[in-house]
Amino acid sequence: MRYLVRRLGHAFFLLAGASVLAFLFTALAPGTYFDEMRLNPQIAPETVAALRAQYGVDKPLPLRYASWLNSVLHGDMGFSFAYNGPVAPLLVVRARNTLLLTITSTLFAWAIALPLGVWSAERLGRLSDRLLSWGTAVLLVIPDLALALGLLIVAVRSGSFPTGGMASVDFETLSPANKLRDLALHMILPVTALVLSTLPLLVRHVRASVADVLDAPFLLAALGHGIPKRTLLYRYALPAAANPLISLFGFSIGVLLSGSLLIEVVMSWPGLGPLLLEAILARDLYVVIGGMLFSTFFLVGGNLFADMLLYWADPRIRAESNAR
Amino acid sequence: MKRVTANLKCCWICPTVLLSLFVFVGPPAIAFPQEKITKEELLVLPGEVGRPGGRLVVSLRGEPKTLNPLIAADARSREVIGVMQADLVHINRARQQTEPALAKSWKISPDGLSYTIVLRQGLKFSDGQPLDADDVLFTFRVYLDENVHAPQRDLLIVSGKPITVRKADAHTVVFQLAKTYGVGERLFDGLAILPRHLLEKPYQEGKLGQSGSLATAADQWAGLGPFRLKEYVAGQRLVLERNPYYWKSDAQGNRLPYVDELVFLFVPNADAQVLKFQSGETDMISQLGAENFSVLSRQQRGYTMTDAGPGLEYNFLFFNLNDAGEKTSPEMQRKQKWFREVKFRQAVSAAVDREAIVRLVYQGRGAALWGLVAPGNRRWGNEKLPHPAWSFERARALLKEAGFSWSNGPNGESTLLDSDGKPVEFSILTSSSNADRAKMAALMQDDLKQLGMRVQVVPLESRSLLDRVTQSRDYDACIMGIASYDADPNSDISVWLSSGGLHLWNPSQAHPATPWEAEIDRLIEEQMSARTFEQRKKLYDRAQEILAENQPMIFLASPNILAGAKNSIGNFRPAVLEPYVLWNVEQLYLKNGTENATR
Repeated sequence: MRYLVRRLGHAFFLLAGASVLAFLFTALAPGTYFDEMRLNPQIAPETVAALRAQYGVDKPLPLRYASWLNSVLHGDMGFSFAYNGPVAPLLVVRARNTLLLTITSTLFAWAIALPLGVWSAERLGRLSDRLLSWGTAVLLVIPDLALALGLLIVAVRSGSFPTGGMASVDFETLSPANKLRDLALHMILPVTALVLSTLPLLVRHVRASVADVLDAPFLLAALGHGIPKRTLLYRYALPAAANPLISLFGFSIGVLLSGSLLIEVVMSWPGLGPLLLEAILARDLYVVIGGMLFSTFFLVGGNLFADMLLYWADPRIRAESNAR
Repeated sequence: MKRVTANLKCCWICPTVLLSLFVFVGPPAIAFPQEKITKEELLVLPGEVGRPGGRLVVSLRGEPKTLNPLIAADARSREVIGVMQADLVHINRARQQTEPALAKSWKISPDGLSYTIVLRQGLKFSDGQPLDADDVLFTFRVYLDENVHAPQRDLLIVSGKPITVRKADAHTVVFQLAKTYGVGERLFDGLAILPRHLLEKPYQEGKLGQSGSLATAADQWAGLGPFRLKEYVAGQRLVLERNPYYWKSDAQGNRLPYVDELVFLFVPNADAQVLKFQSGETDMISQLGAENFSVLSRQQRGYTMTDAGPGLEYNFLFFNLNDAGEKTSPEMQRKQKWFREVKFRQAVSAAVDREAIVRLVYQGRGAALWGLVAPGNRRWGNEKLPHPAWSFERARALLKEAGFSWSNGPNGESTLLDSDGKPVEFSILTSSSNADRAKMAALMQDDLKQLGMRVQVVPLESRSLLDRVTQSRDYDACIMGIASYDADPNSDISVWLSSGGLHLWNPSQAHPATPWEAEIDRLIEEQMSARTFEQRKKLYDRAQEILAENQPMIFLASPNILAGAKNSIGNFRPAVLEPYVLWNVEQLYLKNGTENATR
């Protein structure tokens, strides 16, 4: 229990720190949302000045931070200049879509990486293992952007996948089963891009950790007892190798999340990515800060989950935190 | 295409008389669902008669932010609002001239100070509520209210005084101006007439800004445009449906618009937009770059690409001519000595190979530019404006006259030196998000190297660029582009006037810094209140000449408006004014009727 509280405390400080940094960085970026209005010949400079005053853009930074923090504590994430409305509803809808993409990709990536890594560790140094290493190395050097664009081109050429987006135009008129099918069809490309971009990292880590424990005396002993290879690998070797992998799990959520922001823009997935990008370019301050905070929240949440898993999986941690 | 516009031109000389005489060759009408219109005073559009039904899908480069014309500040919101709202008098985007819209007719008093506008009778908002003079009164009261901060307000201030509006009877409104206003009835274009029955309460509560958000329920929002709100899916799409009360009909009396639904898909990335069009998921595409246009043109499958010719966007380079007084750094002082020398600017202009810019940046789909009025602007260009040929000799001669000299470096490279013997070196800022302008900067860098100038190109993110140019004013030179929203020169007034915010080389001056800027100010002010087109054109031509002589802006090139549509779309006629393909959205139809609707 104390372990949980400590972890939660860490998470809270991380969030607070991230919010300060987000505020600082957005303040450091030159220009404000209202600058582009100056370029609009239809709008008088006095109007722009009045708007700036109305939204308090010109107030000093600590003051803005304090009032923002105050409103967050009251459940209000701030105000979007561009949408002329509260930030929270904007973010919630899109965060849901981002989470759908990230969680699905995380599950798929691990579901593929685990058997592949174990398989490769078992054949350590053999031709098949080396081929896999080469393959993952190649995937590792392809930028996410190229991967996503390549997949989109495949989609156009083959004509069997939609070119981005999350739903067909007539989505609302479809039956529930067809809605699910439509959604799955739209998810295939972005999920593939995300899985392919994280897979090499995961496979390599799984392979290394499993290979480490394969030499352990207790496994040699188990082998000597005639336990079948498959059981040996998945029942004994993998749990023993799990510790670093669980930590990696938390980390992989972060990687997928930041990767998904990019993939979303390329594949027009209606998640946080396109919203954040546009908000950053337009200096829509509170949307940027809110979006960053949401992302940090997911990241911290993912890591917290990994910590819990670790607590459950590793008796040493349990013993250590209970002893104190 | 050409034939159609020519037809339109001759028929529009006197719309009311000729309309009824117009003979149409179109497909025979099929049974229309709605009854023929009787008592409403509908506007009858000439042109090809289409078929009803179906759905049009287009992509937007991102989400619109609001449906409320009072707060819309971005191009996407305005594009969406454009098909949901209507104005009293409208500028026909193809002819670039005004035509009656909600106003059946208008009369300008002999002194040019009062405009009497007669509304069409029997018109209804998209929710079925009637339109009358009170809605117009309410609309202008809101636009002019300082507390609303509507961007429209500044358009309605004529020589410092707001326009006043008075109701003459239930369908007649009189606008009173403080001074004659050269633009005339063009003033009313784009000023959406708002539904008083929906907005009066929020206005009185001071909550007008919160109205018309994208999350608004479909029955809580109404307009007078061809389409009305049906559904908004955050981050994905906006679905509009046909406004059954729309006030235009085709030549056979069928109420427009033809299509049942108009869908905007939000596609945040230009290449993804191209892919969506290519795969048939969207029906039309516009605002294309030359590269994507040629890719799409090469593999036309079931769609046709159209080059509508040069648009109203003008790209130019300008030098920092701001006078920061004593705060100016010695280095900046030295540089500004060159920049302020008119021969230096003329030399730079002479050294720029504009044809190469058109060829390499726009793949030939653009026009070289020597003045502020883009070639897409048919009425206002000054044909007598000199188009000096690209010439390094002339540039060198100009520089020599201005006291510059050259020194030869060890590897045969010559360096331009100013009168104090210092080498001429400066940087050009461009927006990093605009690949076209970055290419222009690179080409200029190359051209200027021939003169011995050392130029660095600095790409900056667009807000940072704006900040540098308009706020801190800490830069040497910059390449920018401006797209006029109307062909009338008044849309660029803040570029011309020395007090204007877009007078980029030295914005928002209290007093004109140079005699020629003062002269331009005078000419532009004068044409603002001139009555006839000829008078205005003469004054405006002179202003263009002064600008060309002094080269505070070195004009480079103007891109063509490129668009495409599926072959099944009828009446597709892209214009060079915004909204390029949706300006006649009510007339667009699907040639194979509703079969096209489901893909």
